[in-house]
Amino acid sequence: MSAALTTTWAVTRLEWRRLLVRPLAWVLAALTLAWLAWNFTLMLGNFLAGQIQRAALPDGPGFTDLVAVPLLGQLAQLAFLVVPLLTMSALAGARRNGTMPLGLATGVPAAQIVLGKYLAVLGWLLLWLALILAMPLTLSHATHFDWGKLAAASLGLALMLATLAALGVACSAFASHPAIAAAAALIIALGLWSVNLGAQMAGVNGGAINWLAMSTHEQPLLRGLVSTTDLTWFALVITFALILATRRLAADRERG
Amino acid sequence: MTPINSAASAIALQLNDLSRHRAGRPVVQNLSLELHRGQVLGLLGVNGAGKSTTLSMIAGALRPDSGGIRLNGEDFLEYPELARRQIGWLPERAPLWPELTVNEHLDAHGRLRGLKGATLRQAREAILDRLDLQLLTRRLAGVLSQGQRQRLGLACALLHSPCLLVLDEPANALDPLQVAAVRTLIREQAAAGTAVILSTHLLTEVTAVCDRVAILHEGTLRHDGRVADDDDHAALERRFFEIAMMNSQQPPASAA
Repeated sequence: MSAALTTTWAVTRLEWRRLLVRPLAWVLAALTLAWLAWNFTLMLGNFLAGQIQRAALPDGPGFTDLVAVPLLGQLAQLAFLVVPLLTMSALAGARRNGTMPLGLATGVPAAQIVLGKYLAVLGWLLLWLALILAMPLTLSHATHFDWGKLAAASLGLALMLATLAALGVACSAFASHPAIAAAAALIIALGLWSVNLGAQMAGVNGGAINWLAMSTHEQPLLRGLVSTTDLTWFALVITFALILATRRLAADRERG
Repeated sequence: MTPINSAASAIALQLNDLSRHRAGRPVVQNLSLELHRGQVLGLLGVNGAGKSTTLSMIAGALRPDSGGIRLNGEDFLEYPELARRQIGWLPERAPLWPELTVNEHLDAHGRLRGLKGATLRQAREAILDRLDLQLLTRRLAGVLSQGQRQRLGLACALLHSPCLLVLDEPANALDPLQVAAVRTLIREQAAAGTAVILSTHLLTEVTAVCDRVAILHEGTLRHDGRVADDDDHAALERRFFEIAMMNSQQPPASAA
């Protein structure tokens, strides 16, 4: 393994360990899993209750459309709150408790510090997504899945979580206090999701403003449509946010 | 005072015209000095003299506005990754992650410095023994006493056997026995060829452990000489007070 990878991995391990021993991550995981499990049970009950009527429809919606994807949709809503809470301390917390200069003094480049911390949060979020996906998947032997649609929706969720995490890390890099970082990340994420709301209300369905909105790229994935344009949008936002965070952290070494 | 080992008298650290401003005000101005391997330099000065800023620049946490730093002959500003293996830094208040144990701190620091596997374990056990931290290995840093935190910070700085040790007030919050142990440790490090810079407010600390003393005042070097050149503690104290009371308009005293 190259030195850069080894160091990034060392930062990821440290951040991952810190996430695991703090109660915040566990509390968030427990509460959101309980909420989503309850909703899953309700949606499953509705699905079973309507099964006879849907049997008469030739191309009626199945388990994936009525239970699995809506569950992932609920997770997407929760992510707007959960991700900023997880990322808020990534760099703002280090700045506050004085460990930031120590990290910079290890000679580890700012990009590796940012990437290491980002990967740790992303690892936690993907584990969270996997646990939630496990709920509908436990019924895979008993029902018919639209595997393609489920895979596309899961990819969409994973990309959305990765984007929110990158925005959260960037906000944490700029903020002096974790709470400010969390608030900023929440507002920016909501803004990015609904930036095209006005245009849509005015009946404009194309153009740059629609391209800019996260919802434009997330919703097709949740419907099972994968396009390189959408994937590129997520990749661009993640890269842009991480570059911003890296530049801000490097400036800490310059500015003190 | 232990004489400087002539066999190990190569220059470990060279500062050339180092300057740093903060909020438009000079904090360190045209600071030049050299430190040989095996030498212990005491950095004295009143609050705000520029000691901590100087140490932050030497440790790589802060970039100077101008000037150069050479570490074992290599340009440290050009290659900040030199800090990874060559510098151990204990900032003024040992910055720790309160949610991690003593062992986890040492493992994380070791990995960030490039240690792994058996090498890391051996280094960790050795430093735990040396700093009398064996009974605290599973204790969270957040519940350690101030003295224990300081010893853990020192252990993190020494873990990777650096060739330059930068200590900012290492005797902070230590009891007299621990202060004596830290002094012995510093002398041991120097005897093994490590160059040590020690910033302190305590003149007794300097006379007890340092080979050389440098006095900073208003960001400039006002005195640089061997401790033995000052006949006794009283002479050093007199010189310190002369410099500390000096009007900033007066030109700096010539370095010894």
